Formats: sequence, C-alpha cells, structure tokens
Amino acid sequence: MNPKRPGLTWSLIVIVGFLTLCPVLMLLLGSFSQGLTAFGQFTTAKYVAAYTDPHLLEVFSNTVIFVLGSTVFATLLALVLAYLNTRTNIPCKSLFTVLSIVPMMIPHLLFSVSWALLLNPSNGLLNLFLKDFLGLSASPFDIYTLEGMILVEGLLNMPIAYLIIAPAMASFDGALEEASRVGGAGVWRTLWRVTLPVLRPAILAAFVLGIVRSLASYAVPRVLGMPGRVDVLATYLYEMISTGFAPDYGQAAALGMSVLSVSIGLIVLYRALTASGDKFVTISGRGYRPSVIELKNARLPLFAAVGLFSVLMVVLPVAVLFYTSLVPYSMVPSAQAFASMSWNHWVEVLQDPISLLALRNSLFLAIVGATLGVMLSLFIAYVVVKIRTRASGLLESLSFLSFSFPGIVIGIGFMWFFVQTPLYATLTALLLAYVATYLPYGVRPLASAFVQVHAHLEESSLVCGAGPLTTFRRVIVPLVVPGIVSAWILMATMFVRELTVSVVLSRPGSEVLAVQILNFADDGLWGKLSALGIVMILISTGLVLLAAYAGRRFKGMRAG
Amino acid sequence: MDIHIEGLVKTYQSEGRTVRALDGIDLHIPANQIFTLLGPSGCGKTTLLRCIVGLETPDDGEIRIGDQVVWSGRKRISVPPEKRGLGMVFQTYAIWPHMNVFDNVAYPLQVRGERRAAIREKVLKALRFVQLEGLEGRSATRLSGGQQQRVALARALVAEPKVILFDEPLSNLDAKLREETRKILRRFLTELGITAVYVTHDRVEALALSDSIAVLNGGHIVERGDPQKIYFNADHRFVADFIGRANLIAATVQAQEPDATVVQSPLGVLRCQKRDFPVGASVTLCIRPEFLLLSRVDAGGGGGGADAAGAPPNIIEGRLETLDFVGEVYETEVRVQDQLLLARVDPGVAAAAGDAVRFMLAPEHCLLVME
Repeated sequence: MNPKRPGLTWSLIVIVGFLTLCPVLMLLLGSFSQGLTAFGQFTTAKYVAAYTDPHLLEVFSNTVIFVLGSTVFATLLALVLAYLNTRTNIPCKSLFTVLSIVPMMIPHLLFSVSWALLLNPSNGLLNLFLKDFLGLSASPFDIYTLEGMILVEGLLNMPIAYLIIAPAMASFDGALEEASRVGGAGVWRTLWRVTLPVLRPAILAAFVLGIVRSLASYAVPRVLGMPGRVDVLATYLYEMISTGFAPDYGQAAALGMSVLSVSIGLIVLYRALTASGDKFVTISGRGYRPSVIELKNARLPLFAAVGLFSVLMVVLPVAVLFYTSLVPYSMVPSAQAFASMSWNHWVEVLQDPISLLALRNSLFLAIVGATLGVMLSLFIAYVVVKIRTRASGLLESLSFLSFSFPGIVIGIGFMWFFVQTPLYATLTALLLAYVATYLPYGVRPLASAFVQVHAHLEESSLVCGAGPLTTFRRVIVPLVVPGIVSAWILMATMFVRELTVSVVLSRPGSEVLAVQILNFADDGLWGKLSALGIVMILISTGLVLLAAYAGRRFKGMRAG
Repeated sequence: MDIHIEGLVKTYQSEGRTVRALDGIDLHIPANQIFTLLGPSGCGKTTLLRCIVGLETPDDGEIRIGDQVVWSGRKRISVPPEKRGLGMVFQTYAIWPHMNVFDNVAYPLQVRGERRAAIREKVLKALRFVQLEGLEGRSATRLSGGQQQRVALARALVAEPKVILFDEPLSNLDAKLREETRKILRRFLTELGITAVYVTHDRVEALALSDSIAVLNGGHIVERGDPQKIYFNADHRFVADFIGRANLIAATVQAQEPDATVVQSPLGVLRCQKRDFPVGASVTLCIRPEFLLLSRVDAGGGGGGADAAGAPPNIIEGRLETLDFVGEVYETEVRVQDQLLLARVDPGVAAAAGDAVRFMLAPEHCLLVME
C-alpha cells in the first residue's frame, strides 16, 4: 500500500481544479474575446471599453464607501457584542448564540427586502408610522441610499465577524490582562494596550473577510441600491449582462477580472492572518477564565440594547415579511390592516407555475447539490487533513480558492463556459456552479471533523485486514457524521437561497427561488414576494431539522 | 512465525533536513517469543514497527514475515497492511468509538467475510481470554483504560495473526495499572506462544516482559540479547546507561586475571567482570547503585553487609554526602575521593549524612564497557 494515495489526491485535484479554475480561466479568456458565443480574435477592446466608461468612477467610489463602511460597521458591532458576551457579566448569554447563528438562516435577499419594506421612502412601514405619529410631511428615513446599504450589509456581515472574534476573545489568557492591571493600567487602558493588540489577527481576519463578502454582495445593492440609482460594482456588472440592456459579457469579464483579483488577494491575506493567529491568541490549558468585567449600572441598559438588537436582527425581518404577505398592500398595522388580512398572496404564489417551478428547482439543487458537494468535500477534507503531501497542499489551496469568488463574477466566468456546452440554461449548469462556488462551506466543517479522528483509528482498521474502501466506509465516515451533517446543512441552506450565481446563470426553465423573488421585487409584488420568501425560510429550516434528525438517527443506530 | 529484516532504510524530510529514522537495520526476530524494541524517543523503534506492519513505506531494504516477502525495495514488492495478516495494539488503543465491544473485536473477522456464527464464537472466545466476557454489548468508549487495552488486545488476537505488534501499549495507563496490565499481558502472550513485537521506551517494561530485547538508538540497533544480558552484561555504554541507573566512571585496564579484569579508577583498583580489553585500554566502568552493598557505618551502629559469592569483593570507602528517603530505600550520594557515587541504603540502617561508610562491590557487578 502507498499511504500517500497519489491516485485519489490527483483525481480530486483534477475535479476541483476543473470546478474552480474553469470559471476563472474562462473569465480571463472571455475578457480578451469578441463575443460570448464565438471567441473570435484576441482583443483588448473590452478592457478599453470597460475601464474608460465615465460612469465607472462613480461606481468605483460607491463600491469603496459601501465595502469599507459596511465592514467597519460589522466589525465594530461584532467586537462590542463579543466583548459583552465573553468578558462582562451581562445576563442571558445564550442570546448571543442566537444572535450569531440565526441571522445566517435568513437569506440576505429577504433581509434586504424586509428593510426596504420598513424604511423605503414612499411606503416603508416605519416611515408611514413615524409620519403619522409625528405629523411629518416627508418620510424621515430613506433606505435606498449608500448609508442604508451600509447599515443593512453591516448587519448581515456582523455574525461572520462575531464568529471569528468571539472565540479568540473567549480563549484569551486572562493573565495577560491581569499583568497589565497589576502593572497599574486601568480597565480601558488595558483594553486598548493589551486586549485589542493581542486580538489583532482575529479582528483583521474578520475585517478582511467582511471586505470580501461585501464586495461580492449582490442582494443588498440590488434591492436597496438600484431604486435610488446607487450602483456598486456587483450591480454594475449585472447591468452589463442583463438581457434588458445590450448584454456585453466581454466587458463584464474584463471588469470582473479586477474584482476577482482583489478578492483572491484578500483571501490570500486572510489565510495568512488566520495561520499566524495561533501565535498571538494564547490559549492557556490551565483552565483560566478571563477576568469578567462588572458592568454595574450599565448591565441592564446594555442587556436591553442587545435584546432590542436581537429583535431587529432576527424577529423583525421575518415578522415584516409575514405581515406583508397577508395584507393586500403596504399599510401600517392597524385595525383596518388586520381586518383586510387574507391568504390571497399565498394562494396566488402557490398557484403560480413559475414560482412552483422555482420551488422545485431550488429543492432539487439544495438536496442533490448538497449531497454531491458533501461527498466531494468528504474526500477533499480527508486528503487535505490526513495525507500531508505537496499534492494535498495544492488541493487545499484549490478548494479554498472559491472562498474568494464573487458570485456575479464567477457566474459570468461559468457563463462563458456553459454557453459552449449543451449544459447552457440547464439545472446541471447551476448545480456545477453551486458546488464549485460553495465548496469551502463543505470542506471546512469536514476538515475540522477529520482533525479530531486519530490516525490510529484508521490504521488499526487496515491492520485488521480491511482494505482502504472498507476502512473509509466502516470507520472513517461514521466517525465524521457530525461534520457531514453540518456540511450538508450549510450547503443545502446556501443553495436554497442562492442568488448571485443564479442571477447570471438562471434562464427560463431553470428559475430558482431567489431569482423568482427578485422578479417579484422588480414588479413591486411585495405580498407575493413575502409569501415566497417565507416559504424559502421554511424550506431552509426544514432541511436543517431533517439533516439534524438524520444525523442523530445514524449515530444512534451505530451506538446501539 | 519469525521476521527477517535486512538493510532497512527510512528517511524523513523534516524542516528541510533529512532525518534517517532507520539507518540500515538488520534484524532477525525469532518465532514465538516476546521481542522488544527498546530505545529513547526518536530512536526509530516505532518507525521500524510501522514498517513491519505496513503503515510506513521504507526507502530500501527487505522485510520477510515467515517465508513471505512483505516489502522489498529491490524486488519491488509491497504488501498492503490489510494483506499482511498481522495484529496490532496501538498506543492510543484505537478503539472505534462508534462500535460496541463486540463489533470492535469482530471487525477483523467481518472484513474477512467469515460466517456470523463463527464470528460470534471466536469473538466470545477472545473476550473470555482477555477476561472481558459479558461486556460485549457495552459501548467501547465507556470502558476503563485497562479494559479498552484488553479490547484492543482481543481485536488484535481474534483473527489468529501470524505476529502481534505492540506500540507502547501501556504508556497511557497510570503507574499502578501499567504494572498490573504488564503482568497480565506477559501471561497472555506466554500462554499463546505467539510471535510478539513490542515497542517501548520504558526499561522496566522491557525487562519484565521480554524474551529478547533489541536496543535502538539513532536508527541503529545498538545491541540485542535477553533481559539479563542487556541489564548485567551490556557491551555498550549507551545500553548500560539506558537500561538502568548507573554510575559511569572512566577507568584504565591494569591487568587481566583468569576470572577478572582489573582496572585503575578514581575509586581505586577494582576487580571487574572479565572482558577482553587490552591492558592500558581506556574503558567505562558501570556500577549500578543497587549493587553497592553498605557493609559498615562508622558513626552509628554497624550495618551488616552481605557476603558476595565467588571472587572476593571490592571494598569502597567513602562518606555519605546526601541521604534522600524515597520510600523503600534511601537514595544516597557517596563521595569517594573526587567521585560522587549513587548508591542505595536500606531504610532500616541507622546512617546520616556525613557518616563515613564502607561498601562491598562484587566483581561480577562491575561492568566494563567500551568508552
């Protein structure tokens, strides 16, 4: 036996290499070509056209403000929340877990829509209410602005930043701070001179990841930016290829190359930051708890603030959508509104053939896509964690590459590819693009599961006479079931809500839920949109419960 | 079944440097014995074991188990571990947490496709042998460390392997349990009369368990022999030092007598175990603390020294520098002129630091090794 398994490693490198490099190379090729269907002669005309567009400067400055603004907002918010949770005596700490996990269950598209429903200048619920209440002549808030986009994108990215910063803060060796206090520094000085600098790698990592995500973000700019004509790169790129205008995939590819390069650069930086993180964040094995700051009088007001924030993040979006799906048109909750409530929007949506098709397609993509994705991720994670060769390092880098992919850009890359094949406008095209784009979401939980499986468990099976396949099936897979379940849940929920890749690749016949919801938004059919949105959230939740149940059953079966 | 190893080489790349974990090992492991590979960490003993079992691929050389060549660089033979028909007990036990005791032990038979009834019978027999009958339905991870150890042993034995290999199997147990388990293991293996290869860095374990010991250092086999040979009559300073506590003192051969070699040392002229060194050669004198017998204490009452049998004993006179009570004995340092000697004193003896003492030392316990 060769324990390095070069055959397996190289087959995976070929598969993953195809999935992740194909869109990148096609994008590059496309940006130097004349047209989508025929590459034609090598040309730099598309670059010239794309980068000399006078509108680009405005788009670029909007993008910078949007990306930096929302990331700073998200990181600061996460920092405050993580500090409150891990280092103070604020009550009811389980609230923070809810706050960091649940918002990820609400699709970005629907979160953006719910804020539009609340704060749009013409008939946003909160605006209407405040106008009535304060007797104003104009709406006090306008969400269709750069500030509004920053607010919503920041809220959406907060949980990611929180999940990076909070564990680092929790595992912080309290003695570092105690030494500073003994040395004569006060609470604030210690925070500023010791705590934050030691946490710098985690904070920076959260910040860089935030930039990558907001740069790739499409839902927020599309829902909140387009009505107010605030274009950022993602929406600008989409306008270039959307069929309503004169689509120019070449120009889009040329511009997309910049976005992709920046993203890849940032992800390389992110990996460097997280790799050197171990050096800084000192986890003491001696069971020290970090010293807890007494909040005293601020305890309850701060708790109230966090509670209110949780309502804003979790309850409000769903409540607004549900309310909107029941009332005939936008109106402030009142006796009249409740009297006119009906299931009409629901009935219409569930009888609408395109919505039903989108529902079926999304379910198919979620279940089949997540299953295929997890199977691929299982082998990748195994090779990356258990076989430490140069080739497995290459595989790791390849599978991590798609973490940096901005959906729109990579969708454009895939479009250049699929249009040459019979896969164009099929569900299979979406399936491949989904798996390629979201591969890291499958690999990461499985990799951490494999790290916990001692090599001896596998080796003893081989010595017992079981071949590699039997060993994989009977020993390795059962031991990483928790990882399989979380990878499947992550991928399936990502696929149900998928918007950015689909918006490029989806064609009549291969509609998916998010695209259909966007169509409703374009037509101003908020009631139908909300009904379909709630259906989407219900499916996500259902898949999570299903996978968790299956995982428990499987474990129970094995243990019994 | 015996194991032949010839010219085995294994190198690692570690931080840009090449480490020779096995540097041309030639070894014959005889059949139906407990054979121990002993050495400090990093000496290559575990690598050698893993090459035998097939979990590591050597760079060069040949391994034969019985008549079968399982690995040969020259003949390009490489039998995968699952086809070698061996049993192994891992340092971590490697009990599969998702299976119960029965399934863990049954696994080697299941993958061989044996019939259910036969599997059940053999598993129960193996569990009876390791005294775990009645626990087959238990979740394997709920067992104590010692019990998990025996599940691992049962699993290694159940398919009647040609050879059974142990990779430091006792190192995760606490001291008391380690001793008990060691005795049980010795009894099991003696009863089975199977070829067992045992890797450890614990010298007591090696001495107590083995029929034969090979001491490894730096990817080489330094010396091999039965436990008595390794302990009393080591040929190499490294082995003498590694296998037990020892006073190592530079000495010069003064004369060869028919039944002893006489050396000049800082302790005076000593009659030592007979060794073939030329007169005038520089050697190392190795004296184990337990063989320094206290024969007289001048300050307090007299302590009776035992008479050594055979040749007349050497007499060493000195002064007790320190006296540490460690339970069953006093550990003491004795100053003999400029030399400090480790020795042991019976706790019943009335002695105190500063007392002048006299030790007797039998020539057969004065071991001479190459420098």
